[in-house]
Amino acid sequence: MRDLMTFRSALAALTLIALLISWLNAGYFGMEILAEIAILALLAMSLDLLAGYTGLVSLGHAALFGCGAYAFAVFTAFWGWPASLSMVAATLLTGFIALVVGSVVTRVQGIFFIMITLAIGEMGYELVFKTRALGGDDGLAGIPRLDLSAVGVDLNDPGVFALFLILLVAVCYLLMKRLLGSPYGAVLVGLHDNAGRMRALGLPVQRYQTSIFAFSGAIAGFAGTLSAQHTMFISPQLLHWTTSGEVLVMGILGGLGTLIGPVIGAALITLLRHELSDLTDYWGLWLGVFLILAVMGGKNGVVGWLEAGWNLIARRRQETKPADRSAEDAAG
Amino acid sequence: MLTDSGFWFVQLLNSLQLSMLLFLLSVGLTVIFGLMNFVNLAHGSLYALGALFGYSVAQATGNMWLAFLIAPICVTAVGALIYVLIIDRMRKAGPMKQVLVTFGLIFVFLDAQRYFWGTDQLGVTSGIPFAGSFEVFGEIYPSYRLFIICVGLLVFAALYLLLEHTRLGAEVRAGVDDPETASCLGVNVERTFFVVFLIGSALAGLAGVVALPAFSAEAGMGVSILVPTLVVVVVGGLGSLKGAFAGSLLIGTTLTFGQVLFPSFASMLMYALLVAVLLIRPSGLFPARA
Repeated sequence: MRDLMTFRSALAALTLIALLISWLNAGYFGMEILAEIAILALLAMSLDLLAGYTGLVSLGHAALFGCGAYAFAVFTAFWGWPASLSMVAATLLTGFIALVVGSVVTRVQGIFFIMITLAIGEMGYELVFKTRALGGDDGLAGIPRLDLSAVGVDLNDPGVFALFLILLVAVCYLLMKRLLGSPYGAVLVGLHDNAGRMRALGLPVQRYQTSIFAFSGAIAGFAGTLSAQHTMFISPQLLHWTTSGEVLVMGILGGLGTLIGPVIGAALITLLRHELSDLTDYWGLWLGVFLILAVMGGKNGVVGWLEAGWNLIARRRQETKPADRSAEDAAG
Repeated sequence: MLTDSGFWFVQLLNSLQLSMLLFLLSVGLTVIFGLMNFVNLAHGSLYALGALFGYSVAQATGNMWLAFLIAPICVTAVGALIYVLIIDRMRKAGPMKQVLVTFGLIFVFLDAQRYFWGTDQLGVTSGIPFAGSFEVFGEIYPSYRLFIICVGLLVFAALYLLLEHTRLGAEVRAGVDDPETASCLGVNVERTFFVVFLIGSALAGLAGVVALPAFSAEAGMGVSILVPTLVVVVVGGLGSLKGAFAGSLLIGTTLTFGQVLFPSFASMLMYALLVAVLLIRPSGLFPARA
């Protein structure tokens, strides 16, 4: 188990290094893709807290992402608040909305949970889509970026903005990893494995589920504020359930319940989309085939495959030195 | 307009017609769901395939009745193919992975349909049965839409007889109720699954080809119908014919009258209904397994 955690940390470090190396070599378009990957990675990680660790598969997650983006746009472009304050306010507001929604949706389980989150998310989508004051189906433009010129950083430069996002997401990764390592994180995994037994142990199951729904929603809202700053334009599509589906696919491809898996999945899908859409008009077909094969492969996404390979190597090494086994067992 | 009884009668017919289409789609989905615990998100894609196959047959032969016959058969063949290739192998994989595999199938079907039929709206204009119209309370109403309502009611009656009065129906009910005990008692549950899946595919294809003359066919139609169908299944309760029928009527009526009374918020009304039903009855209105 400890080996597995070390392996995942090493994987996370490698992913960060890979992102930084591609940042060093990226042109203008590459910077845009890196920024997109970073934002989607954060969103996918927040969904992993819910779907992967706690077992609450939500198809309304994109609505919270969009909520953060729209709140940020309203605070900055309409009300003239500074971007830093707007980011905090939009994140808190999304977290609060997620708290209210979470206290309702956690009353149902399984497929019903998927459907009720989809329904509430779609209500949010319809609301934004039909509200002229929020730009309706045209979306909103003219959203400013965070102003860090006081410390000599110009976020309007695509390269600087991409690096800023990558580092920010890395910090968020560490914070979430810390949370999952705490007793609270252990409770979440317990809820996933057997909610009934956790209830029998005297745990207020619904309260825990609501709290993680709110926390994960707040992070999704934060990712939304970043997305609004990245594209400087937002549209209701951000809130649509198919966006939630795509983010879920990223988690699955990378490996749910591993935290680093969704990051890898976000990077893979974003790259695949850009590469394949250059080659073929039917990139969705290949994405679909890829997804089906990945799920039918039976492992937990890319991370699952890597771990299986690593375990194989570790076992071979053990078999060649049987004398050390007792010592290793005692240490592990 | 709003006080005109003819107008309301036409809306009532419209809502019935939408309800029957939703019923044809959701009944297959709900029984597959109840029997196999399998969420087939690609069910909407089979509906689109039905319409597109129907379009091709109608174009080639000019005979819509032939399309009504051949399109569901083709869709059933595609259903059999995905059952053998994918669904049968995913039977033990758990609902999460099943959702994802069929989500992947949506992408595959969507692009395959765009590849073979293009992205245009495809309409059938000639050879449609009941192409005329009739007058109710001073309003003109196309007869074909009445035909859709009749198809839905007929299928409901046929499925009711099948489920309640045949051996296969008894096996399906036993399988929904308790698959393990049913297979201990000698019911070939695996085969029942397969048959039910084929019937569900055929009905989805039928819904598509029946909808074709009234609306039109396009590659994306499977995705847009998927969500209302899922809402019907969940509101009605998993695995029950009665639930699918009641859910279809409820959602069809809500969508049609919502469109008339609150044009901007018709689909919001549907989602609000879903949330309300789930909070009051967490397993839907008439779940097969209490």
